[in-house]
Amino acid sequence: DEMLHSLAGPPSPAGQDPHGWRVDCVRANELCAAEPSCSSRYRTLRQCLAGRDRNTMLANKECQVALEVLQESPLYDCRCKRGMKKELQCLQIYWSIHLGLTEGEEFYEASPYEPVTSRLSDIFRLASIFSGMDPATNSKSNHCLDAAKACNLNDNCKRLRSGYISTCSKEISASEHCSRRKCHKALRQFFDRVPSEYTYRLLFCSCKDQACAERRRQTIVPSCSYEDKEKPNCLDLRNTCRTDHLCRSRLADFHTNCQATFQSLTSCPGDNYQACLGSYAGLIGFDMTPNYIDASTTSITISPWCSCKGSGNMEEECEKFLRDFTENPCLRKTLPHPLSSPCPIPTGVHPPHKYLLPPGNAIQAFGNGTDVNLSPKNPSPPITLPPKMEKSPALPDDINDSNTMYDTSVITTCTSIQEHGAKLNKSKEQSLCYSETQLTTDIMPDQKTFVDQKAGSSRHWEGQILPVVPILLLKLVL
Amino acid sequence: SRRKRARARHKPCALKELEVSISELGLGYESDETVLFRYCSGTCEAAVRSYDLSLKSMRSKKRIKKEKVRARPCCRPLAYDDDVSFLDAYNRYYTVNELSAKECGCV
Repeated sequence: DEMLHSLAGPPSPAGQDPHGWRVDCVRANELCAAEPSCSSRYRTLRQCLAGRDRNTMLANKECQVALEVLQESPLYDCRCKRGMKKELQCLQIYWSIHLGLTEGEEFYEASPYEPVTSRLSDIFRLASIFSGMDPATNSKSNHCLDAAKACNLNDNCKRLRSGYISTCSKEISASEHCSRRKCHKALRQFFDRVPSEYTYRLLFCSCKDQACAERRRQTIVPSCSYEDKEKPNCLDLRNTCRTDHLCRSRLADFHTNCQATFQSLTSCPGDNYQACLGSYAGLIGFDMTPNYIDASTTSITISPWCSCKGSGNMEEECEKFLRDFTENPCLRKTLPHPLSSPCPIPTGVHPPHKYLLPPGNAIQAFGNGTDVNLSPKNPSPPITLPPKMEKSPALPDDINDSNTMYDTSVITTCTSIQEHGAKLNKSKEQSLCYSETQLTTDIMPDQKTFVDQKAGSSRHWEGQILPVVPILLLKLVL
Repeated sequence: SRRKRARARHKPCALKELEVSISELGLGYESDETVLFRYCSGTCEAAVRSYDLSLKSMRSKKRIKKEKVRARPCCRPLAYDDDVSFLDAYNRYYTVNELSAKECGCV
């Protein structure tokens, strides 16, 4: 685990522009091609890297010079965007430089993708869209069924969902159950072209019964896209994945964004759930397609279709690789959580660190957002919320990231309300949470409030909290 | 008034939609999944052609007796929506085509 710890930190964003802006590799390639010195060095370096390892390459003076020159060019720091035009071309350019420059076969590779920053908008859009139609207070509600409904009522989602379902369940011949290649392609189209408020909801719905969990497991049509006659060894599967630029990139992105870390409260890098969910969904439709291994509602286990049988002396490395799927605390806490629950993030983030998170297997409860009782006794009335917020020192390192700031604060409010709500009966708790979600959603589009908050003005917070307080007090009196 | 109500009921042919469960479709599938069912509804008075008038006349003059004919244009789908796929209660996927109307017209 020590090794895991040392590797767990986010990969150093070497040479990142202070404004966070980085040119994409297709554009960087164009810029380089327009400059004779850059383009010739790039050509030289590619020749140097072809079929040689880093050390042999660096022994060559000419290669060394080419590398030094290119390290100054935009090509060296370029990244790609998921679903961008010419994504494959962009990734080919990225790996053409980076493949040879890493120390051989690394366990974790840095993601060639832009860091995900637009997480809040998605979660909030979700909350606002679905809080209205989700019968969350109904104990019979099946979130996965609701997700299918939401998708069916949207023409784009319905078309692409039907697209992959019909492709993945079409029998080719008596011997061939389906065309896995076509199925994967259709799945990638679905996850690339349908907004995440629909796709995540189908993929990460929370369940109370087995029928729901089975529906969730069936989301990607696993009989075609996931299961196979034989289970390959995970390291072999990883090697297969790494021969494909897209699969390799998506796997690196998953490792970057879902890598469990002890440096954040949620176990996720930068406490960014959205990035982890996105990277997980980004693996679907490739050799490393992950899925729920069963329809259990009490424990959620994710795995690619592989095992560590036949690992030989690589057993340990194989287990370590597999555990990033099966026993990953970041992924566990991320999985079905807020997307199907009315409250943006019911738990997981807990700035006042008074309470500890329940053990990993409690994901299912996280999804419900109701039956996790984090603090058996919470004496402070809701009015103390704003001061709590100020005391909270537990922001991630990137404190400049206004997103994070906003994120954490809002969650605090909602988490606390839920905890107070836990003392009341369930339906009241739900309604409390709704009103809060609604409230924060309403504030959300106001960019000004957002910036002011960042500046640390607590007055704004009081302004936002105050409308909730009467509701809370009312509920507490009841 | 009665006339007004009658007119309101007889809107010109157009596409309408309904949220229905797969089971309700009556196709024999068992699934609680909800789909949008679009159908054609309305009258086609404006689309009556000389053909319809003449056909009616032939029928009333008993020139056409035994055959089944339709002397009125009918509001029907001109095009159908894309396929609809769903998971049934036994966790099997099905795809249904030409389930829902996409465009309506008097034909």
